[in-house]
Amino acid sequence: MSVLDIKNVTKSFSTTKAVDDFTLTVGDGELVCLLGPSGSGKSTLLRMIGGFETPTSGVITIDGEDVTRVPPEKRPTGMVFQSHALWTHMNVFKNLAFGLKLRGLPADEIKRRVEAVLELVGLGGYGHRQTTQLSGGQQQRVALARSLVLEPKILLLDEPFASLDQHLRERLREEVRDIQQRLKITTLFVTHGQDEALALADRIVVMRDGRTEQAARPDVVYREPATPFVAGFIGTMNLVDGTVANGRFAHSGFTVPLPVGDGAATLAVRPEALEIVPASGAGMAKIHRVTDYGTHAIVDIELPGGVRLKSMTREARDWSAGQSIDLKPRAFAAYRDNAAIHRSN
Amino acid sequence: MARALTERRIDWTGIFFAVALTLVIVFPLLVVGTWAFTNVWRYPSVIPQEFGLKFWYQTLARADVWSAITMSLSLATMVTLLSAIICLPAAYAFARMDFPGRNILFFSFLAGHAFPKFGLLVAIAGIFLSLNLIGTFWGVVLIQLVGTLLFMIWIPVAAFQSVDRRMEEAARDVGAGPFRVFWSITLPQAGPTIAAAVLLSFVGTFYETEGAWLIGAPQIRTLPVLMISFINNQPVIQYGAVLSVLLWIPSFIALLFARRVISSGSFARGFGA
Amino acid sequence: MTTTPAIDIVGTKKSGRPIGLLLVAAPVLLVCWMVIWPIISAIARTVWLPNEGSGRSFSLETYAFFFSDQYSINNLTVTLWTTGVTALLLLLICLPIALYLRFAKGRLAAYVQGLAIFPMFVPSIILSYAVIRVLGPNGTVDLLLNSVGLPHIRSPYLTPWGPVIGLVWDNIPLTVLILLSGLGNVSNQSIEAARDVGAGRFALLWHIILPRISNSILVAVSFTVLGIFSAFTLPYVLGPAAPEMMGPFMQRTFRDLNDPTNAITQAVIAFAFCIVFGLFYVRSVAKNRAP
Repeated sequence: MSVLDIKNVTKSFSTTKAVDDFTLTVGDGELVCLLGPSGSGKSTLLRMIGGFETPTSGVITIDGEDVTRVPPEKRPTGMVFQSHALWTHMNVFKNLAFGLKLRGLPADEIKRRVEAVLELVGLGGYGHRQTTQLSGGQQQRVALARSLVLEPKILLLDEPFASLDQHLRERLREEVRDIQQRLKITTLFVTHGQDEALALADRIVVMRDGRTEQAARPDVVYREPATPFVAGFIGTMNLVDGTVANGRFAHSGFTVPLPVGDGAATLAVRPEALEIVPASGAGMAKIHRVTDYGTHAIVDIELPGGVRLKSMTREARDWSAGQSIDLKPRAFAAYRDNAAIHRSN
Repeated sequence: MARALTERRIDWTGIFFAVALTLVIVFPLLVVGTWAFTNVWRYPSVIPQEFGLKFWYQTLARADVWSAITMSLSLATMVTLLSAIICLPAAYAFARMDFPGRNILFFSFLAGHAFPKFGLLVAIAGIFLSLNLIGTFWGVVLIQLVGTLLFMIWIPVAAFQSVDRRMEEAARDVGAGPFRVFWSITLPQAGPTIAAAVLLSFVGTFYETEGAWLIGAPQIRTLPVLMISFINNQPVIQYGAVLSVLLWIPSFIALLFARRVISSGSFARGFGA
Repeated sequence: MTTTPAIDIVGTKKSGRPIGLLLVAAPVLLVCWMVIWPIISAIARTVWLPNEGSGRSFSLETYAFFFSDQYSINNLTVTLWTTGVTALLLLLICLPIALYLRFAKGRLAAYVQGLAIFPMFVPSIILSYAVIRVLGPNGTVDLLLNSVGLPHIRSPYLTPWGPVIGLVWDNIPLTVLILLSGLGNVSNQSIEAARDVGAGRFALLWHIILPRISNSILVAVSFTVLGIFSAFTLPYVLGPAAPEMMGPFMQRTFRDLNDPTNAITQAVIAFAFCIVFGLFYVRSVAKNRAP
């Protein structure tokens, strides 16, 4: 059952299209991550769902009701902003109670609900605190609580942890996931961090220039990226442009069997799938640098044309800079005209 | 070690400025304050022969003093009120809305500051002459109102602009309409700075002498105008001293509350620094 | 992540234009009526004078009168003298204070800054009274000199120096604030770098600091000129009866002589003398402040 339906939505700012003919359906209780680089239109899309911007064309429906032109205060959505946007002239309790008061709830009911939500986000007893006295993580929890207390049909998070440090970000990410699963609340989460998307999402929508590049489960997006852009954006990916002739892909000495028709192609190989062996002849490439991370090592490889690749190996000691090597991709994908034409697993 | 040495070095320049400024700035005002509480101080005694509140009773018993106080307070209140009514919505529009000519209209408030002020007042008075506004309450209100416009628009514009838009959006998100957002979020956030601007405009109007003298006198007599005639015509020195202390009370209040705004850079920037 | 233009919240976009103009209409119209129109009208009515008949015709008679009348010329001269002397004294006094405040820290510096800004909170009429009580005949300075057996000072009260003292006192705060704000643009690193290559105190001031704050100095001078050229209260109370500064002169011509045309002529002449400073001042303010 779908809660949110976005149909052919376009948003133009003067000359540029921030969101371009975008369509997405989100099911009940689903957590969808909108992932993309800056300027890919993901925040604009979220703001249109929240009602802060009006689509130039297209329709947004929530629970079957057209909300395309409904102002934010009349929508069943709750937004958590990147800058937390807490009202600094109110204490924590008043920040949470404001929306409930507008709905005319009795004082004891407001108190009960605010305290319950504060408990949920791990800030029980913080009601009387001033928002400016809280740490960055606590402020973001209050912002989350402020949205949750109104029991919205859809929770919208706009890069909520971008201003926090790595450690805190990971912890809050897990908390959000726990709360979301407990409340079974439909959630849209905007981020430009692929690890955040992979850790959180039921489904990832990778966006680029206002369009969907791929919308799929995290493991699918990771293992079977639909386009070279997705392949390059999620995780580390070696991308090599070359030509296919007679069932063999070639890029200046580096060749791989590729059973597709002749023509240009882009080869995509994960570092963990790119095996290297000491050169049998002249060698396909040279080792540029070896970096030891303890648990594994990353070998930087330079192809004769100057293209750099990465390979992940167990042992750093087996390799040294300047060494001639051959490349043996264990698993790879090939793209032509922005679409996958081959996958080997 | 080096740090301790520099800290112990005596700041002679600072001491010089502190002493010189104390002598030049504070000392004259202390003399006035002393005169206000002096019953008898005959030349050539260095200190007064007799302290007391005699002249406070005498000054406050004068009808012209009371009517001037009432006039000054009602003028300043009326001007500040009118200024707030017309300027604050305009400031909000400048800060948050887009309309044709926004920039040029915003800078039009500088026009009055490109000319020597008293010359402008004389030019305005030339127009008021034909409108029969000379010597009337509303004539003085108008001329003082113009003097408050720049402050009452530029400072609140900065205040509104510094309110985080996401805060307002968050309020829309939880169900507040545009007016509720303005009332519950924007205004309280911008409030302290706007209050300081209102206070400054009240105090500035209270002390405005030149427009009141040129347009209002002798029918409209404010405290500063009365003070001029005391200086020119009043042989009893203490009347002027008592009036000075009375006159300074609004300044003292402004000093307590507006310090934050004045010490912030935006205030000096308003003067083109 | 992209900053959103102000018009994006639903509802304000379409209605924003007329409402915005409507909200700013009252103060803008007030400026037009009370600033722009009086200036245009002042120029128009002083060059377009009533003639013998019933109509008006072009004439520069009032200006010719001003510049042929010795009394008017004396008044203009004393105004120019006062403006020049006051501006110079203000720079000589305020620049060292601002330099000190820029580089000093601690409680003493805070005290000096507090004192330098304090005159902003003293209305000029109280200041006039205080100057008379301290420097006037038999004032406090006379009392103190007398008590140690020294002769009286020649009191500046009712001489051209009276307004100068008052105007300098009155203008210290804003001059210091403007200069201090300019000095804020001179980074500590640039000064340390200059010292590193061997610049002494005066080389530092002359080659590094002054060039950086020249604009602020010009702004401070412009602001002072605009304020002093037509100052009224301080010259009226502290200055001599003749020659008088332009402010009291205009006031007397307008009210006491009941001659608005000549008073407005004097105002237009004051505008002409200040126009360069006025335009420079407005330009600097506008440059610093985008809406």
